[in-house]
Amino acid sequence: MATAKDADRVRPALTLTKEELEVEVPEPRLNWMNQWREWGVRVKPGEKGLTLGSLNVGLYGEIPMNWPDRSRNPRGAIGVTGTPPVAIQIKDKVDLWAPCAAELYEEAIQRRWAPATDVDWTAIHPLPEDIERAICQVCTEICQYAIIDVEVITNWQHQMAYGYHEVKQFLATTTLDATRRHEAFRKRALVNGGGLGYEGPCQVSRLLLESSGGWTETVTGLVLVRAMFTQMMIRYLTRFAYNGVERKIYECVTQDLARLITYGIEHLKYALAHAPEKQGSILTTLAIGFRMFNRDLRDPVLREALAIVFGGGIAGARSEGMHVFYEMLDEYVEELLNTCQYLRLPVAIEQLPKVFQKDQRSLPGE
Amino acid sequence: MNRFLAKFPSVAWFDAVRDVYNKDDAMHGAGSGTCNCVVGVQVGRELFQLTFEGFECSRAEKITKSKLDDCDFYLHMTAKDWRSMLQNIQEHGHATDNFTLNTLDLGRVEGLSASTHNDQYREDLFFRYNQTLQFFFDGSARIKTTF
Repeated sequence: MATAKDADRVRPALTLTKEELEVEVPEPRLNWMNQWREWGVRVKPGEKGLTLGSLNVGLYGEIPMNWPDRSRNPRGAIGVTGTPPVAIQIKDKVDLWAPCAAELYEEAIQRRWAPATDVDWTAIHPLPEDIERAICQVCTEICQYAIIDVEVITNWQHQMAYGYHEVKQFLATTTLDATRRHEAFRKRALVNGGGLGYEGPCQVSRLLLESSGGWTETVTGLVLVRAMFTQMMIRYLTRFAYNGVERKIYECVTQDLARLITYGIEHLKYALAHAPEKQGSILTTLAIGFRMFNRDLRDPVLREALAIVFGGGIAGARSEGMHVFYEMLDEYVEELLNTCQYLRLPVAIEQLPKVFQKDQRSLPGE
Repeated sequence: MNRFLAKFPSVAWFDAVRDVYNKDDAMHGAGSGTCNCVVGVQVGRELFQLTFEGFECSRAEKITKSKLDDCDFYLHMTAKDWRSMLQNIQEHGHATDNFTLNTLDLGRVEGLSASTHNDQYREDLFFRYNQTLQFFFDGSARIKTTF
């Protein structure tokens, strides 16, 4: 604790000398005050409030097809000359844009939830051990998916030009969504006498982490392969939820993932409309993604855990549970093919690995 | 509790549920929040349209089939299936088991959510606003429904 004696010792050092008090302060020139690219902007809040998208007026709403400025200059501001370039690689609108990005950003902010307080954790109750172990294993894998999402998205964010801040801001919400997903599933794994299980196989994850050729191609794997499958899995988990805790988590996460999926699909649609030559690399990425996914599915852990959850225990897993697992896979494939049709991507079910083809797959034990 | 009595399906029933939904702040947080979409509800051959704007469901009206194009998506079930869902909500205070909108969409061969326009961006609003829509229909537990 400081004493009065200490204070005496400190005070002289803080006292300004006469010379210091007489330092000349130059008259402010204020010559920065008349330097604006557009002044007098007065955006009025609309029915949805003062939204990010509503700020796109006048030159502030000019979103060019190319943003060569490799600085952190906010769109519409006057840049400083001579600034060393930063590591911005994505400078073309076609490589990241989705017209709905600003709207999705507002939606993510508005529809936020907090696992700590919005989930009634007291509603959890003990489950049979086989079911609890299976749920904890599923939680472990979803936690891992979430960690990968954060790493993949943040690895690209800093490479995107600031001229497209709507996309950068929306992607920031998706990384928060992913960390919240990690938080919620980790909490579920640890709240009911269980714990974390096995780390899942990482073929799709590795593909996403090592995808460095282009954001559009990364989005192809991240959204069409990983996110759409995860969403379908979580929707099925909602159907077979064992309590209100799980149901609440699954419902909120479904919404969070829906925004990422919407961005991804609308970005791919935009990219294909403005650069049709991208179709080749998107299709190739999708094909590689499915090969990796096929390898991941050969690992029995997630499949068995889900079958136990869906079948109400080990006994029901062999018949009902496994049947539901493959029904879930078929639903995912159907949604994927519908999305490809929406994007006018020529993908047919016959092109997918056999495990994704209902009539072609051989089930374990057959 | 003196609960409002309304017959399902009818504009009066949807108005009563709108009133519950619009007045309860608990239905506008925790993963819900502002919602902007136009939802169709098909009960057998009868069609209704719900307009969600911000924190409110601002309008419910009866529509004809040609107006389904204006709906971002529509929820379709037979009168019998709607009745089962609403009775489950009445019984538990909210939808459970196979009667949530999500599980109905997954569990029924024909699904629950559909559209006439095939615009995936608009169709996917069903998933983006799922919690709000669930809260809305769960609100029917607080009115007395006749069929």
